[in-house]
Amino acid sequence: MILEAKNVEYAYKCQKQRNILNNISVRFEEKKFYTIVGASGAGKTTLLSLLAGLDRPTAGAVLYEGEDILTKGLGYHRKNHVSLVFQEYNLIDYLTAEENVRLGGTDQPQELLAKVNIPKEAWKRNVMKLSGGQQQRIAIARALASKAKVLLADEPTGNLDEPTAVDITTLLKRMAHEAGKCVIVVTHSKYLANEADEVVQITNGTI
Amino acid sequence: MNGFSLAWRSVIRKPVKSVLLFVTVFIISLLLLSAMSSGKATIQMQDNTRQAIGAGLLLEENEADRHRRIDELARQLAHEEGSLGGYHQEKITINGAESWRTWTDHSFETLLLYDIERIADTEGIAGYNITTVTTAVRPVDFIRIEDVDVDQYSDLGGVSLIGNKDMSMDSNFLSGNAYITEGRMIKEGEKDVCVISAELAIKNQLEIGCKISFGNCRDKEDSMTYEAEVVGIYQVNQPIVPYMFGDTYRSENIIFTDLDFPEKAEGKAGDPLYEKAYFKIANVNDYETVKRSVMEADIAWERYDLIDNNGNMDTLSANFNEMEKYARVLVWAISGAGLVILFLIFQFWMKSRNREMGIMLSMGTSKMQMLAQIMTEALMIAAAAVLISFLAAPGVSGLTADYLVEQQIQSAEEQDLLEEGKVAFSYEKSEQNVVGVRAEITPGMFLQDAAGIVLLITISVCGSGIAVLKRNPRDILQDL
Repeated sequence: MILEAKNVEYAYKCQKQRNILNNISVRFEEKKFYTIVGASGAGKTTLLSLLAGLDRPTAGAVLYEGEDILTKGLGYHRKNHVSLVFQEYNLIDYLTAEENVRLGGTDQPQELLAKVNIPKEAWKRNVMKLSGGQQQRIAIARALASKAKVLLADEPTGNLDEPTAVDITTLLKRMAHEAGKCVIVVTHSKYLANEADEVVQITNGTI
Repeated sequence: MNGFSLAWRSVIRKPVKSVLLFVTVFIISLLLLSAMSSGKATIQMQDNTRQAIGAGLLLEENEADRHRRIDELARQLAHEEGSLGGYHQEKITINGAESWRTWTDHSFETLLLYDIERIADTEGIAGYNITTVTTAVRPVDFIRIEDVDVDQYSDLGGVSLIGNKDMSMDSNFLSGNAYITEGRMIKEGEKDVCVISAELAIKNQLEIGCKISFGNCRDKEDSMTYEAEVVGIYQVNQPIVPYMFGDTYRSENIIFTDLDFPEKAEGKAGDPLYEKAYFKIANVNDYETVKRSVMEADIAWERYDLIDNNGNMDTLSANFNEMEKYARVLVWAISGAGLVILFLIFQFWMKSRNREMGIMLSMGTSKMQMLAQIMTEALMIAAAAVLISFLAAPGVSGLTADYLVEQQIQSAEEQDLLEEGKVAFSYEKSEQNVVGVRAEITPGMFLQDAAGIVLLITISVCGSGIAVLKRNPRDILQDL
């Protein structure tokens, strides 16, 4: 077990009477591909944010290798334990594909770009000039560049056409099974959910 | 990829924000430099009443600075009796009404010997003379020349002494108006010697080698007398212009002495009052070069007027009406406006880079690192802008100084019109015309400007950064 949410609760500061997450406990292991599914507003993205250390739970704890991520700090957790892929790709708009991947912490971005099928002629182009599918693959390459053992993705195929979505799903699965990472994906996609080793279903803030 | 290379790429590849900051910093820096140099500008004046004679330069006390120093010391003493820096004030009662008596002593009024010697050390200066203030003393064993038709009641009843370090460079002898008819001039370093007028010599049957005595003419109870040997007798073509009204100061009653004698005869030995210093330039062809070198001497120039042989003198803006004050206000106004504008620009930067900050924070970059990157970008752009402003500043600062001087002259004229016949000045304003303005930018100003820009940028980056970076990464990412 690498990552665990233990009795996690979360409420927005301005709406303390209403919890977004209620006493959630879930465990994630390396080399596995997880999907978190549920209706809109069920709390999927909130759970992912807490697992990523983007925010802290109102109650309970997120543990990485058995240790509360608050012990070393959320910044440390984000930098060393997890890497993130977003629906909106979230690449730095003034950098090239290579430079964006380099941000993940590698000196060999070309290798990773090739791995995610980015054509060589696009490597030195500004990312804003590439297609949505290419941008998402670059975002995944950046996540791969990180030495983090956990990859968290929020609707990574949400903005992509079906063939590209299949392509990205395959890539994520390979990351779990071949690169040995723990891949946790929040999705609405049934296809993606079906491809997962384990599915976590959230309904009204509970599992 | 480190923060510096990321910052560099952002500067180059996001030109709109970079150009916006570049132009703003360039303008702020240019205006700051212009205002600073105007505050230290040299206003070239011509005084038709004062001129150095021959190939020389004349150093005198600046009247405006003298009054400013008095005001400053009076302010420091507040409403207390006491003395400070040669300025004294005490309460007196006249006809039952309380009033203040203020006066200054020699230490306040004198040209500083250290400053004179610093100027004299300048290359190209062949020699120098120091002249004391015209000092009234009581003739003890001789009688003075008097106008029998004038009531002497309000006169001090004395004669006046002028001490010189090197009598040959006294303005009266240098101009050729006065000349030795008998005996010789006083040599540098001689003590207790004097040169009297031919009229005084005749009236008292004094000859070379005679000794005459002087006493304090202001303190009647002081019975001390001081003796000086007559070494020369002089004659004048035109009467020497009297220092003040009355026979004490009439031309025939002026006695030239060695440098230290006047203070001694006044009972203030060791407390000199030097009024003028004259510097002789070795080679007349180097006059302007030497003058410029003299002006670079490291002394408190605001205390002095340096007058050349055309009556030209350079007045510091500190002594030119309120120009220095206006320039200082301008520096603060530019800094204030600059801070507001820079703050708004960085607010725009932060908002337009919300996505980037969210991404970087989600990757574990700390808030301080983000702020440091923005700071690095800002400083890169500012460095370029400040460097360019350094190149443009000399031209612009001259225009700014010209404008401020014009404003000062105009407001002074308006003030004079308003006060005409209503205000009595404690000193006589000399007839001076502005003939030019020189605003130079010194390395110190460059440093102050660069430091000021760095400070403004740091404050505005931190100010605008706090609002964005106090939010957690999730909130920032949710805005995207």
